[in-house]
Amino acid sequence: MWDLVFWTGLLGGALRLATPILFAAIGETLAQRSGVLNVGIEGTMLVGAFLGFYGAVESGSPWIGLLAAMAGGALFGLLHAVFCVSLRVDQIVAGIALVVLGLGLSGFAYRLTLGAADRPPDAPTFDRLDLGMLGRLDFVGPALFGHHALVYTGIGAALALCWFLYRTAPGLEIRAIGESPAAADAVGVHVARTRYACTIFGGVMAGIGGAYLSIGQVGGFVENMVSGRGFIAIACVVFGRWNPLGAMLAALFFGLVDAAQIRLQVLNPDIPYQFFVMLPYVLAVGFLILFAGRARMPAALGIPFFGGRRR
Amino acid sequence: MDGGAVTASFRLPRGLAALAGVGGVATIAIAVAAAFIAASGVDPWHAFSVMAAHALGSADGLLEVLVRAIPFTIAGLGIVVAFRVNAFNIGADGQIIVGAIAAVWLATALPDLAGWLLAPLFLIAGFVAGGLFGGFAGWLRARYNASEIITTIMLNYVAIQLLGHLVRGPLQEAMRIMPQSERVPDSVVFDILIDGSRVHAGLILAVLLTALFWGLKRLTAFGYSLHAVGSNPAAARYGGIDDRRVLTLAMALSGAMAGLAGAVEIAGLHHRLQENFAPGFGITAIAVGLLARLNPLLVPAMAVLFGVLHVGSGAMQREAAVPLPIVWVIEGVVILAFLVYGRLRPGSASTAAG
Repeated sequence: MWDLVFWTGLLGGALRLATPILFAAIGETLAQRSGVLNVGIEGTMLVGAFLGFYGAVESGSPWIGLLAAMAGGALFGLLHAVFCVSLRVDQIVAGIALVVLGLGLSGFAYRLTLGAADRPPDAPTFDRLDLGMLGRLDFVGPALFGHHALVYTGIGAALALCWFLYRTAPGLEIRAIGESPAAADAVGVHVARTRYACTIFGGVMAGIGGAYLSIGQVGGFVENMVSGRGFIAIACVVFGRWNPLGAMLAALFFGLVDAAQIRLQVLNPDIPYQFFVMLPYVLAVGFLILFAGRARMPAALGIPFFGGRRR
Repeated sequence: MDGGAVTASFRLPRGLAALAGVGGVATIAIAVAAAFIAASGVDPWHAFSVMAAHALGSADGLLEVLVRAIPFTIAGLGIVVAFRVNAFNIGADGQIIVGAIAAVWLATALPDLAGWLLAPLFLIAGFVAGGLFGGFAGWLRARYNASEIITTIMLNYVAIQLLGHLVRGPLQEAMRIMPQSERVPDSVVFDILIDGSRVHAGLILAVLLTALFWGLKRLTAFGYSLHAVGSNPAAARYGGIDDRRVLTLAMALSGAMAGLAGAVEIAGLHHRLQENFAPGFGITAIAVGLLARLNPLLVPAMAVLFGVLHVGSGAMQREAAVPLPIVWVIEGVVILAFLVYGRLRPGSASTAAG
């Protein structure tokens, strides 16, 4: 049982299962670096999951579904930005509202549309990326190179975001806003506009994560199918110490845990499977205990900015 | 992750202002709901009249609203306590589940116990289990700075899986057909208060608890320390209040109320453990607590309001084909509208900067 095929499947599964969390986590990392805490990622992912599935079924192309999910995610990000940046309400409560709203909108729309059929249609899925020689390598071929393009896009996006955040002028501005919006504002950085952009970006990424879940992974939509992954993504931001690469590693770890717990269920039929399903959630709590105390979050995270030259 | 001063914008919950606010929030919620109902191809007027007829238009409907309001009140009081100290307990769903599990487990484990003893122990078990669950998350926040928003949600999923296992394993009925427990002993089942309805003695408990929480807030040192820590933790600490302890206790009490609500749902309504016996009640409790502006005395009124929403939405789904998740759409909109209302009131802007 513990042969090469097992490990190949485990690693490949880890990469696939990590992808929805990865997208959401790096998007949330950017939003939080700009000082906006969005705990509504879960709801945004649900909207992305539904719109991705719906768009893919109606158009016949998963990429159109992905675009729909990105648009929905952007809208949710915009909504959060309006409430947190412009109206300056409590960011946590606004995020909770987005979770509930996303749960409702996705379930409502699904039951009205595709869910109304006796048997929901199958979604067209993303093609696997053919990497030629690489895919035919022993072990690493099927484990690392046999996935959808989105899996690699996610990892690429994390690397690009890391470069953007630490090596470019706009990245520096975002980090400055997250630490001290007043100082950033004083040297001419547009705090509100940047926070809008980062929060919308976070929404788009969560939308992509949701769409990958429905059309890349499950092949359908189920109400509340995100099942806490949005909150695990927020935890990954903490574990990753607000660095996109760290968030990526944390997401990959949770992908590995998820892939492992599915296999452990099969290997241990005597142990109730529910205890394996619990594993990622229990580990998320455990890792928060280990990491949260030492984490240093952006100093202005969650705090509305009241200054600004535009007022 | 400190959330800034949420309580600061929840002050001055006085009579008319509160009523006007609820009216404004309700208007926005109704408008948004009408838009979504229209989008689903149903005449909103028809849908709302179905809702009103079933939830408000008959004695049966009104009594059913009261049945719904019981767990919303009890869990909502718990939300008020936690949110007062900026502890965002969004895990009431899980705490409701572990409360119900503990209560039913106790009744199963002690079948020979005298009824007069078992009945209170049943409720206490729910209270204690929910309290441990919520208190654990509070302690993690106080001791390790672990965000209670994440930990309570994670614990929700742990509770859901635990319940799924128990009703198919150790606590499953002897026949082993349905994923549910055996019926709890008659001694723990609540009396029905009004013949022909489902209104049970939990209603009296909910009213008593509301009075108790009002007294707790206004008259006790703990109530004062909640207020102090919620307003300014640093100042409270300087004044000799152990803010971490208050935070842990507030989360424990919050979870305990949710756990009690779970036990009450079993004793009053379901009489056995099942999956999904309180779907999304924890979310609703948050909406109830917020709209009550963290004032215990307003909690039952808001619980009744959301009871109307839940009973009415069920009727809208059955008779007007409006999908049930409209409940969550409306609750999300209600929370957002409430936030805007809180922002628009004078005086809140300067304090919210934290």
